[in-house]
This record gives sequence, C-alpha cells and structure tokens, in this order.
Amino acid sequence: MRLPVNVPDEEQAVGRAWPVIAAAFAVREPVPRPRRRAPLLAAIALAVAVAAGVTSPGRAVLGQIRETVGVEHAAPALFSLPAPGRILAVSRSSAWVVQRDGSTRLLGPYSDAAWSPFGRFVAATTPLQLAALEPDGDKRWSLARPDVHLPAWGGTKTDTRIAYLTGSRLHVVAGDGTGDADAGGLPAAARVRPAWRPGAGGVLAYADTRGRVTVYALEGNVPFRTGRLAGIRSVAWSTRGSLLVVTRTGLATYGQQGQRLARRGLPGIRDAAYSPDGRSLAVVRAGEVLLLEARKLTTLGRVFAGRGPFAGVSWSPDGRWLLVSWPAADQWVFIQVVGPRRVVAVSHIASQFDGFPRVEGWCCP
Amino acid sequence: MAAMPNEKALLRGAQRGSAADFEALFRAYWPRSYRAAYLVVHDAAAAEDIAQEAFLAAVRNLDRFDRRRPFAPWLHRIVVNRAIDWARSRALRAELESPDALPAPERERDVSDTTLDALAALPPDQRAVVVLRYVLEYTPGEIAGLLDLPRGTVNSRLRRGLDELKGRVS
Repeated sequence: MRLPVNVPDEEQAVGRAWPVIAAAFAVREPVPRPRRRAPLLAAIALAVAVAAGVTSPGRAVLGQIRETVGVEHAAPALFSLPAPGRILAVSRSSAWVVQRDGSTRLLGPYSDAAWSPFGRFVAATTPLQLAALEPDGDKRWSLARPDVHLPAWGGTKTDTRIAYLTGSRLHVVAGDGTGDADAGGLPAAARVRPAWRPGAGGVLAYADTRGRVTVYALEGNVPFRTGRLAGIRSVAWSTRGSLLVVTRTGLATYGQQGQRLARRGLPGIRDAAYSPDGRSLAVVRAGEVLLLEARKLTTLGRVFAGRGPFAGVSWSPDGRWLLVSWPAADQWVFIQVVGPRRVVAVSHIASQFDGFPRVEGWCCP
Repeated sequence: MAAMPNEKALLRGAQRGSAADFEALFRAYWPRSYRAAYLVVHDAAAAEDIAQEAFLAAVRNLDRFDRRRPFAPWLHRIVVNRAIDWARSRALRAELESPDALPAPERERDVSDTTLDALAALPPDQRAVVVLRYVLEYTPGEIAGLLDLPRGTVNSRLRRGLDELKGRVS
C-alpha cells in the first residue's frame, strides 16, 4: 500500500536546495580515511607524545607547538594575489592599493577608505576631510568637514553617491563632490559604516544611535526601519537585495520591504561579507571562518580555523577566494572556497603596510 | 527500502570529491526526503529546510560514512527525527502567520488532500511511522531501527495510525 498524496512545491524545492548543497559540497574538506596500519601509527604517536610530555625538552616542544600561530610555510611577502582584482587596505596611518602582481601603491595619510562601485575611485577620509582619489593616489576632489569617517560609495556607472559620517550626522555627497547634504531629519548615526544597496535607486542602510537600522532612499522616504537590535556591528547588502545586519549576538537578514528573512544566533562575529553572487556569506569569528548559505543563514562549512583572533574577511571579485586577516599571526590568509581547497598565506604583513592593515575591499578586476 | 543499484560507487566517488556523483545521490534521494519531511510537518518551507539540513549533514559526515551501509536509511533517519522534533515544537507554540505569507490558490480538493488532512490529524510520532512505512516503504523492523523504538511500539503506532486514517478518509 502507498499513500495517495501529492506534495506541493517539490520541483521548486529541489531547484532551490541543490545550489546550497552543491556549495557545501564544494567547500568541504575531505578527511583522509584511516588505513589498516593506523593502530600502529597511533601507538607510536602516543609513545612520542608521552615521551615529549615527561621530558623537559619534550615539554618545551609541546609548549612551542601550542603557542604557534599562523599558517606554516607562508610566503615571506605579498608577491601576488591569487585572483584578479585589487585590494584596498588601511593601516594605522595610511591607505594602500595592492595590485594583482603584489605591488602596493600608497594613497596617502588616510584613516579610512572605500572603493567606488566599479573600483575606478577610492573615497578616503582624514579626520577633517573626505577625498575622492584615483587608485594611483591622485586626488580628484576633497571636502573639509569635522570628524569625518566611515565613507561608503554606491551607485551605478553613471550616477554615484558617497555616504559618510561627520560626527554622528549622516551625509551624502555626489560622486563628483557636489551637493553635499545632511541626510536631514534622520536619527543620529552610530559608528557603523553605512551601506548602499547595489545598483540604482540610491537606497542606503545605516545604524542609528537608538540601536535600529534605517533604510533611507535619496528620494526622501524611509522604506523601513528595524526594531532595536543589541550591539549593531555592521550592515551590508547582498547583490540580490537582502540586507544583512550583524550584531554582537548574531545576524539577521531583511528583504526589500523590511520583512525579516532569517535570523541566527552566532555570538562573537568580527566580520561578515556576502559573496559577489549574493548566495553565500563568509563569517569570521574569533578562531574560525564559516561559510553560510545567505538565504537561510545555515552553515555550509567551516573553511578555516586557527588560534585567532581573525580580524576581517573579504571575497575576491570572482567569488572563488576569501582573504582573512590574521593580525596575531601577522598574516593574510587566502582560502580558495570554490573547487579544490587551497590555502595561501602571506606573512610579515605589518611591515609591508606600516602596521597591520584593515582590508576595506577586494575589488574589480 | 532497496538501495539504488550503483549507490556504493556513487558514495565512493563523492567521498573522493566527485560533485557529479554527489549530485546523483542528491537527485536520487532528495524527492523522498522532502516528501517524508513534508508529510510529517505539513509545511513546505520547513520540509525544505529539514531535507536540506539532512543533506548538509550528509556532506559534513560524508568522509566518515561507512560505504558498506546503505545511505538512504541514514539520511531518512535524520529527516524523520528532525521532522518529528519540528512538528512537536510547532504543536507547543502558538504560531503567528507571517504577514507576507500569501494564501494558497484555490483549487478543487482531491483524494490527496483528504489523505493529507487525515495524516495531519495524527500525532507526530504516529505520523512519522506511517510515513516511513507507507511512503518510504521501510519494514517495521527497519523503522524500529531508524527511530530507536521497540518493534512492538512501531507495530502498534502503525495499527493505530492506519485505523485513524481509515476512519477519516472513509
């Protein structure tokens, strides 16, 4: 006997599920299967471990291993990037652009920076100035304002806007430096970088000092505002139009009308970044890098772990590599997450950038 | 429930990293996993989540999986147990309708709807046993193994479940 039942949505469900499962399969790390001589090897390993633990030199060796931080066999300098594009990095006193061939260009003494939507320009700030720069450092224009920070550049190839904070006020200026204006009447902004929704329309999300995220359109209306959220750390849009809010307790996503799409408790997130296709989300916690499925925030896999803390994560423009900043190890770690797993680490990062830098984006081949 | 003929070869290929082999396993086992989850939880979105989570668990544990064992019971055990948990927890909480949920389109009811309604009226544990027996076609002995239940309990849940279904469908 079989039950005569029709189940709804079968075809659509399989179409939605397979990309998620395939992505998880692509990033899994195969575990070598144990061989028959494993018991013997295990016994030898145990004997070595015991011997190492009970003798003085042995204890020293174990201590050294426990203290080791970083990827072994890291390249001593950044000779090249593993994928096309250029990296924008900001150290304690200056902003830099790293080219595909590993060469670096000092943009100047800027404390914060962000790529324009297609990587043609950089918005950079000093405490008293917002500037638009060519990627080789030439200044196109600048604007003097007090306590300038956290620029975000959005828009299309023909119409761009820069949002930035001056004190706790959110300002928006055109990409050519004209029409600077306070985004009037809005609640004061928290020290969280605003985020433009990709594409046209001039839609901006920012965190306010009351603990809410407001989505603001240049036309003047407020499409939606979230409820109070505890400890907002960052906001970001996916290329599919979902808004991600990272808080100190986890993350949540919202649709274009403000409906909450998913929520997940995941304390200790230090950084999160959507993949260029918007399907995946890389999340950095103290000692691990996770890949989440963007729609439901389910874990696809743990792509990297180590004695953190890790500081940030960025996607390569082709969506195949992640760049994880690891200040304690003085390393940048490049992890290939599509295709066979590869990890390429580069050490001595701080000495190449005048202090260990924040990565502000890997943009645009 | 019989395994697909080339299952071991596909499992071996998937363990060695063949996405094509894993996709073949997915295509073979997704429909019944989704169907089983749906028939226990009666919620398409939740069923999709549950089946998807089961496959994600399969991905995570693929390298540890013993190829001498059949794949489907292992997968369906995850699906059905998660579905039972979901159905129980849903029964315990008053759930508000999502404001953006759209009403289902009107259509004529058929025997499938009647059976679904009858199935939905069963308690989750009974529903799961009925689904495992009459949708996934496991034997009572296999169901006992999948759900960690005594064989007698499986038989009695099946008997009571069928009696209930007959009463509601007829």
